[in-house]
This record gives sequence, C-alpha cells and structure tokens, in this order.
Amino acid sequence: MTRPATGRSLGLLVCLDCRATVRGVQAAHLRCPRCHAALHERKPHSLALTAVLVASAAVLYIPANLLPVMITRTIFDDEPDTIMSGVLVLLHSGSWPIALLVFIASIVVPLLKILALGVLLYTAWRGSPRRRLQRSELYRMVEFIGRWSMLDIYAVSLLATLVQVQSFASVIVGWGAWAFAAVVVLTLLAARTFDERLLWDTPQHD
Amino acid sequence: MGSMHEPSVIVCPACDLAHRFTAAPASGRRQCVRCRAPLQRRENASIDTALAFAVCALVLLVLSNAYPLVAMQVNGSSRDTTLIGAALGFYAQGFESLAALVFTTTVVAPLLQIVTLLYVLIPVRQRRRAFGEITVLRLLMRVRTWNFMEVFMLGAIVALVRLSNFAHIAPGIALWSCGLLMLCLSALSALTSPEQLWRWVERSRE
Repeated sequence: MTRPATGRSLGLLVCLDCRATVRGVQAAHLRCPRCHAALHERKPHSLALTAVLVASAAVLYIPANLLPVMITRTIFDDEPDTIMSGVLVLLHSGSWPIALLVFIASIVVPLLKILALGVLLYTAWRGSPRRRLQRSELYRMVEFIGRWSMLDIYAVSLLATLVQVQSFASVIVGWGAWAFAAVVVLTLLAARTFDERLLWDTPQHD
Repeated sequence: MGSMHEPSVIVCPACDLAHRFTAAPASGRRQCVRCRAPLQRRENASIDTALAFAVCALVLLVLSNAYPLVAMQVNGSSRDTTLIGAALGFYAQGFESLAALVFTTTVVAPLLQIVTLLYVLIPVRQRRRAFGEITVLRLLMRVRTWNFMEVFMLGAIVALVRLSNFAHIAPGIALWSCGLLMLCLSALSALTSPEQLWRWVERSRE
C-alpha cells in the first residue's frame, strides 16, 4: 500500500490560525510568515494536556451534578436546585421541550463529551488504525456541541439577577454552578488542545 | 526568513493530507477527501457586506446593553436587567469567576470580534494598513471562538420559562436586539473565514 502524501511527509506545515501552507525548516521557534502565529507540526504536548483537562473535568462532573446550582430562598424555606431537579421543575411546569433541551445540554452533552474525549485520547495514544473517519467526525461533533452546555449557567445568571425581591423570594447561586461551569470550560479547552491529526498519523518507517 | 509560503499545496488542518491547490470554489466548500473536514470555503464575499454586518452588529450590541433584556413584575414591584447586568448578578453574590466567564462570552468576545474586524477592514478597503494589522487579525481569530451569544439566547429563554410560573415577565428591547445580534454575528463569522480575511488583506497590498 502506498502511503498518502501528507504535510509531514512533504515537509509542509499548515498554520492553524490563518491556514497558510508553510515549508517547514529545522527551526526551534518557527512562526507563520503570514500571520506570525507559532507553527508546530502537531500541537505541543497535545495528549498530555488534553488528558489532564479531561480528567479534571471528569472529577468536577460529580460535584457539578450533586451540589445545588442555585437555592431559591422564600419566607418559608430554602429550596436547593441541582441541575437534574431544575430539569424536573421545567418538566412539571408543563414545558417538556425546554426540559428535554436542558437535560440534553446540561447532563447528556457534558458526560458524552468527557467519554468521547477519553476514547479519542486513548485511541490516538495507541495509534489505532480503526475507524479513523468516524473518530474524526466524533471529534468535530464534540467541538461543535461543547459550547451549548453553557446554557444552564446563563439561565442561572439571569435568575440570580432578576429574582432578588425583598420579602418574597431570592435566588442564591450555589457552588454546583461553579463546578458545572468549570466542567464546561475544561472540556472546551480539552477539545482545543487535542490535535485531531493524531487520529490519522501512521507510524513512520524510514 | 526561515520559511516560505507554499501556495501550490493545501494541507488539511484536520488530518494532514496534502491536496493540490485549486481556486476556491465559487459556492459551497471543498472537503478533504480523507477526513471530510472543510478544506476551502468560498472566498468571493464583498468587503462592504462584511463591514455592513459589523456596523449593524455594533449598533445591536450597544442597544443590548443600553436597554433591559427582561422586566419581571411580582407583588407590585418590578425588576429588570441588561446584558451586562446578567454577569453582574454572579459578581454581586461573590462568584467573580462565573461573572467573568459570562461577561467574556456575551460582551467582551462579541465586542472584540466587531471592533477588530472594523479596525482591520476599514483601512484594507482604502488599500492602507492598520497599525498592528497582523496581531489584531490573530486576536480576532482567537477571540471569536469565545462568542457564545446563541447559547446565551437559549439560556435566557430557559430562565424566562422558569420565571413565568410565578411572575409576570415582559421581554425588553434588548431581548430582540440580542436575537438579531446573534444572527448578525453568525453571518459575520461565515463571511469572514480566515482564508477570506487574508485574501482581502493580501489583495490590498498588491
């Protein structure tokens, strides 16, 4: 089987900032001649950085789901709301499409992202030749849907700002919101530090 | 100079496969034959269209921050908030990092995306170069991935649905301008791919 011509085999680098193709030379700190961004054949320390970020996100996923994201304080009592109980509140108020949306964006997507990044990391580290196209598409999906998990943070920010009515009700932000936002940001960063070209690299036999 | 521009080859930024350069497609986009990532997008947008969208987005961003997003009436008292106010809700409760996250993704990133584009493109249109053009363009590329306006809109809808159960909710001017701002910014991002921006810049230098 003939090896396909790649940037690496031709000695060409692509600038991830401006998409210029640059002839690589042996230089320690190569910069793109067009936009001056740092050029690397592969993102530096991609697997290690992504692994650390995904592992941190996985740990924080637990308090993000167990701790209350907000506490509704009324004259009668304090009612804590986790992400899941927030979904149930929406469901009981009769707006099931919104409940489903929040459930997918806040519970399913972060979990699937952590699992998908784990699979991508492991297979890239092993240099697995199987299902490259599917894994590449999985990565692009993770990159695309990641930001949508911020939805609940924005909802809580508006509730905490608006619901501050003296002697009626006020919304207090809980540490669950902090942990949840940390999960979202860490997985966003993990997707950015991961170099998808590692999914396609074949071992070099010179 | 330790490197040179190599325009006869396009290297896929997602899988490193080398492709022969052809003129950018008139419509749609060219995909990588191996991993199906977008390789080349159309590059025939007009610089005036991009400037029109940018000015429009700037006006909408000012409106979104000058007028209330939503007003809530309960027990005879009324509260409202602006776009910036939503981030301040977290700040008021001691969650500065969450406030910074909301502020960055809904105010700073959209504002920088618009301002940097105007700063670079207005001189380019007159065949001049803005001071620090290359650095500003690189900032634009990086900052616009943190614009989460569309997620914020959905989060605002979720918050409104939850509030509508126990209070009277009146959508404000800023809610509509935020929606339009979201559409304007997506159109702007689609019009100004990295390839397109650099094509405008390089043509103005000829």
